Amino acid sequence: MLETFTAILTDIRRSLFQKIRSSPILYLFFSSMMFFSVVMFAFLTLFLMRTEADISLLDVFFGIFFIFFMKSTHDFHTHFINSPYLSYAFSTQVSQTKTIREIFLVVFFINTGIWFSFSGLYLLTLYSLGINIYYPIEYLVFSTGVIIAIFLGCSIAIHFFSSLRYRLLPTVILLGFYWFSQSMVFLVITLPLALLHLVWSLSHAMDSYLFVNRKERIKDKSQVKIRDIIPTICYREITVLWRDKLLFSFIFTSITTGLFTGYLAIYGTDLLIPESLKEYAGEFLPDMFVFLGIYIVVIYTAVFPSLNLFLNEEKTMWILRNLPLSNETIVRGKVLSLTLCFVTSLPVLAYVSLFVGLDNIVFLIWLLVFSYIAGIIVAVPLGAKYVGKKSDILLLYSVAMILFAVLGVAGNLGLTLITTRVDAFFLLGAVLIVEVFVLFLSLKLSAHILSIR
Amino acid sequence: MITIQNLTKHYGKITALNSVNFIFNDSKVIAIMGENGAGKSTLLKICAGILPFDKGEVTIDGFSIINNSIQARKHLGYLPEMPEIYERLTGREFLFYIASLRNVTDAEKKIVQLADMTGITDFLEYEIGSYSKGMKQKISVISAIIHAPKNLLFDEPVYGLDPLTSRTIQDFMRKRKGTTIIATHSTQLVEHVADHVFLLMKGQVVASDSVTTFMDRFGSIENAYFHYKDEVHA
Repeated sequence: MLETFTAILTDIRRSLFQKIRSSPILYLFFSSMMFFSVVMFAFLTLFLMRTEADISLLDVFFGIFFIFFMKSTHDFHTHFINSPYLSYAFSTQVSQTKTIREIFLVVFFINTGIWFSFSGLYLLTLYSLGINIYYPIEYLVFSTGVIIAIFLGCSIAIHFFSSLRYRLLPTVILLGFYWFSQSMVFLVITLPLALLHLVWSLSHAMDSYLFVNRKERIKDKSQVKIRDIIPTICYREITVLWRDKLLFSFIFTSITTGLFTGYLAIYGTDLLIPESLKEYAGEFLPDMFVFLGIYIVVIYTAVFPSLNLFLNEEKTMWILRNLPLSNETIVRGKVLSLTLCFVTSLPVLAYVSLFVGLDNIVFLIWLLVFSYIAGIIVAVPLGAKYVGKKSDILLLYSVAMILFAVLGVAGNLGLTLITTRVDAFFLLGAVLIVEVFVLFLSLKLSAHILSIR
Repeated sequence: MITIQNLTKHYGKITALNSVNFIFNDSKVIAIMGENGAGKSTLLKICAGILPFDKGEVTIDGFSIINNSIQARKHLGYLPEMPEIYERLTGREFLFYIASLRNVTDAEKKIVQLADMTGITDFLEYEIGSYSKGMKQKISVISAIIHAPKNLLFDEPVYGLDPLTSRTIQDFMRKRKGTTIIATHSTQLVEHVADHVFLLMKGQVVASDSVTTFMDRFGSIENAYFHYKDEVHA
């Protein structure tokens, strides 16, 4: 009974505990970072309530829905489509559909666990700040939204890798309806439909597993050739990013974030801020939206692949370690592959510019490049520290928080320079040169971390 | 030639290798036998430079695996016990990847030759994720010998292979020049291919001699193995 469920959860739990034991101070820092940010959100809520800012509940609801949709897609992909261990469970007399349902249960358990613990902490902080938190219906609606997001996230992870792509249609139609209806109630009442779709998806999931794990690649034969060492390492990383379809999702995120950011930069102030506050926040908000857009794209296209350069080398690190290569060569080869990821982040600038024009394009390019390099500087050494120990939410979240603080300060300084100094571009260029030097040091540090393990 | 001096390795409180000494000479097939957890795979991993150790020294053709690691690894080919390979690459892509990193000349010709030898040619265009255990083993064997290294470290080299490929690999080990070290539980394999045997138990070498000497004395490698095992556990 629930053998696969128990096995995967035990594996995740022990892996996390092992990481905590091996670097307790780092994980204490990560946990406090997480705690701090939830409390910070509570204070932000208090501030917005006091200023009577018109933050739409619908936007928050869809924001949370989107986060859990993406997270459950990623989790289901990791534990099912991309799992090297499932063949053992599938080879037993237990029905394969039952095993897949247990994997879904793991994803459901983890994501609802995150939702209830984070929202609980958030509400507790609000309560301690003297804010009334008795909104049971709203909480129920939000929780149902999270559950539907998990259902649809798992469904899309199944059908995205199926040979029969049209199976994606029901999920896409549902998401489309949510988008056009712009209604929490509409979304919530589709729970039975989402559940039905999930059950159907789980019963067809095996097709995707088999399709992904048995692929002939005659067309790619022409690309197979002898290369220099660093391009060889880089080429492998890019091949995996391409075949796992991550590059597409980077471009998709970049475009959609660009569109949202541009839209909010132009109309956000009118939509969100009451007339009385426009005088104070009106000028500040568009810049903040643009910053947030670039920040989200950098987290997804720079930090996530940077961490995974080493985190994903679970049992394959022996290949690189027994070859006559220095750790620096390995790090450089892997990091070189991020240049392609950088290219996938560029659409954010193009789509933001559609709305805000090209007046500030040089500064935006600078901000994107600076943020991207900063993301790599922070993420690569951490990935090297936890080589082969798969990503966990604490790690990703902490890197995101560190970067939020660093990029917030840097973006603000950059903007101040641009508006106050004639020689601003020279100064910003100099900052980039210094940052490249820091990147060089970060790569050296990563190579050193690899060698001491 | 591989030399190991006073090598000690601990996993927490467990001693995997306790001050062991080996000299593996050129042009010989050396077998390391021992029960599960005796330290065979640990020894090979240390020699391959993928596992740090607590004390001692390991040199490959005169190059220290710690201080001159890159030079040492140039002269090595390593096959792990359960090779995990990049599942998203095809067999051909993986072999070209290794050939590029090892700077192998005439890689295409060598890959074709070795794929024919191991009978994997028809599967080279498939992603490794779809391979059976034996097919993964074949690809890993090719990746370990593609650069014709002087020293080979094979951990259970014929494990999961079909009888024909197993025989081909055994022939290859017998005929090749250089040092081949195999860690195995198969007494049959040892009798077929090895020149010299080391019996490793509880992290220490309890016996070492030529295969012919063991055979003359005990009748078979299996008998020799049980004789020393009983002696250690007595």
